[in-house]
Amino acid sequence: MNAVVRKFSQDRNLSVISVLTLTTLMVLIATLGGRFLSAGNLQSMGTQVAEFGLLALAMGLAMLLGGIDLSIVSAAVLAGIVGTKFLAGDVIAITPGNESMVMVLGAVAMLVTGMACGLLNGLLIAKVSVPPILATLATLIFFAGVGMVITDGQSVPVTIPGFAELGVATVATVPVVFVVMALVFLVVGFMLRRTRTGRRIYLYGENNVALRFTGVRNERLVIITYVLIGLIVGVAAMIMVSRVNSARVGFGESYLLQAILVVVLAGFDPYGGRGRVASLVLGLVLLQSLQSAFTILRFDPYMKTFIWGAALLLIMVIHHVLNIGSGRRSREKEPGTPPIAGPQQTLVDAEA
Amino acid sequence: MRSSPFRAIMNRRATGMEKYLGAIIVAYVVIVALKNPLFFSVETLFDMIYSGSGVMLLALGVLVVLVSGGIDVSFTAVAVVSGYISVRTMLALGVDDILFALIVAVVVGLLLGAVNALLIHYLKLSTLIVTLGTMSVYHGLMAVLLGTKSYSVGQMPASLVEFGSSYLVTISTDAGVFGLTVFLPIVLAVAVLTWFLLYRTMLGRSVFAIGSSEESAQRLGINVLRTKLFVYCYTGALAGMMGILYFSELKYVNPTSLIGEELFIIAAVVIGGAKLTGGEGTILGAFLGVVIFRLFGATLVFLGLSSSWNGLFFGTVLLISLGVMYRRQRLSDRKNLVFAAA
Repeated sequence: MNAVVRKFSQDRNLSVISVLTLTTLMVLIATLGGRFLSAGNLQSMGTQVAEFGLLALAMGLAMLLGGIDLSIVSAAVLAGIVGTKFLAGDVIAITPGNESMVMVLGAVAMLVTGMACGLLNGLLIAKVSVPPILATLATLIFFAGVGMVITDGQSVPVTIPGFAELGVATVATVPVVFVVMALVFLVVGFMLRRTRTGRRIYLYGENNVALRFTGVRNERLVIITYVLIGLIVGVAAMIMVSRVNSARVGFGESYLLQAILVVVLAGFDPYGGRGRVASLVLGLVLLQSLQSAFTILRFDPYMKTFIWGAALLLIMVIHHVLNIGSGRRSREKEPGTPPIAGPQQTLVDAEA
Repeated sequence: MRSSPFRAIMNRRATGMEKYLGAIIVAYVVIVALKNPLFFSVETLFDMIYSGSGVMLLALGVLVVLVSGGIDVSFTAVAVVSGYISVRTMLALGVDDILFALIVAVVVGLLLGAVNALLIHYLKLSTLIVTLGTMSVYHGLMAVLLGTKSYSVGQMPASLVEFGSSYLVTISTDAGVFGLTVFLPIVLAVAVLTWFLLYRTMLGRSVFAIGSSEESAQRLGINVLRTKLFVYCYTGALAGMMGILYFSELKYVNPTSLIGEELFIIAAVVIGGAKLTGGEGTILGAFLGVVIFRLFGATLVFLGLSSSWNGLFFGTVLLISLGVMYRRQRLSDRKNLVFAAA
């Protein structure tokens, strides 16, 4: 218990997000009660949060490096389209015998496409030094363009029934897609906290020039991270296709704003080096609870847009007031940092 | 002795990016024209000027923001919100005057831009994230407060419709009558104004300075807040003007359109050599970028390709341009032992 208390008092940001999430949950349970806590609602929340949560995790990784990945949604859609081409039998004709093989192929195609998209981003950022925001803006348009040419703007339906079952299947009433998301979160969380690569990702975000001079192969690190982001995006594509049972350019465009919202909400520093997967999970709980409350209350979609935008601005104001979030910047400007006068003083003292 | 503005434009050496874009445009136009001679006509030109005018206004605003080292994604929302508020005001007050429409839209755009500037300045956070937030807030709030009712030609203020179909000159051919839109002088005037502000005033120098290094600019005594207010208010005002141009061009007032186009317009300006990381960017470059964007959008049919190919073409040009631009920067950074960028 003490360890938990200590952890929270050390990480001001984790405590802010916990308080916000708990308060919201209590208010929602108090006002909506059974409608919010019903098994059906919780299950659909778990299903909905899966693909979006993975996209947010991908965005969070990009922000740890001090970058941003605007292309996640369009990469996920492209991966979904490529995979769906397999699942629709356009690449290999589907016979009753090879259904499961085609399904595996489709899933692999999504993961590979996602990773290829990530690799392109990584190469542009690391090897050509294009700022992440511009590199991913370009790839956003490029991936959507490729998807558009493949599908001609039409929706590609999945013809294998088995794949959609994945989207609705449950293990002990927990949706499978939720379990998949939880596993990815655990693996990435472990990687960030306990492995050398994870440590280096944080260090890169803190100060990539300093990291370069410690002998770390910076460029390789960035490429690996973006490929990992692509892999996560590929998993998100699998969940997306299994849930909607088709793929189409332009699907899930609102996810981009929400992914940035939840990552900033979770206290990830857009200038890099700061952010925890644990806070991200809390942020997702908060966002998804609000989302489903809006659905229960039948909010206008424009009202939702407004609330998400306002929430994003509000969070930034809170972070600014509490002096967290863009911690590095504010720390540099903090007036309390010891001035050069300190050591000079001792020098004078010693002389005296 | 200071050279005249015309000399400065004409005698300026084109940047690498501009030459490269010019070459792409010429090559593309030649290919399209060989494939389909119908493309070479005054109608096509007039049509492209007509449909590209609004985008060009937005692009000029984006250019100023990019030069200041920021990125603004809220300007399409600002355009739609100011245009829609302006139309609704006209309908509510019964005023049917295009000048009134433009003034209301520009003022609303200016105010929304000022909100952006203040938030960006005081929160000291990524401009992308702030404007992503304000984009949703502006558009969501407008939709909640005013609704999202569309107006067709018959319901629109007559002056707005008339403005969209006013021509400077008209030519009649076998296919019908084509006119050169009155949008052209407006866009030209704004382009000259932007050029003058950026390259011939202290304010413009400040914009370049804070784009290169905000810290250094501040230490030089440049008022960062005032400069940012100018940058975002100017963009907002241009977006407001674009809102009116856009509705009168479409002859349809739809408060949900245009949003989602912002990334393409930013991309068009970026292709033209505006650097997000520093105070660089030229008006000619932004113009060429917009031309490429519109050219692919409008002429792929002449090549026998559906418009679905637009994103792929444009995305490819964008990737190559960014690659060329930043590769060169990287090599020169390496040579000068600059390690600031990854």
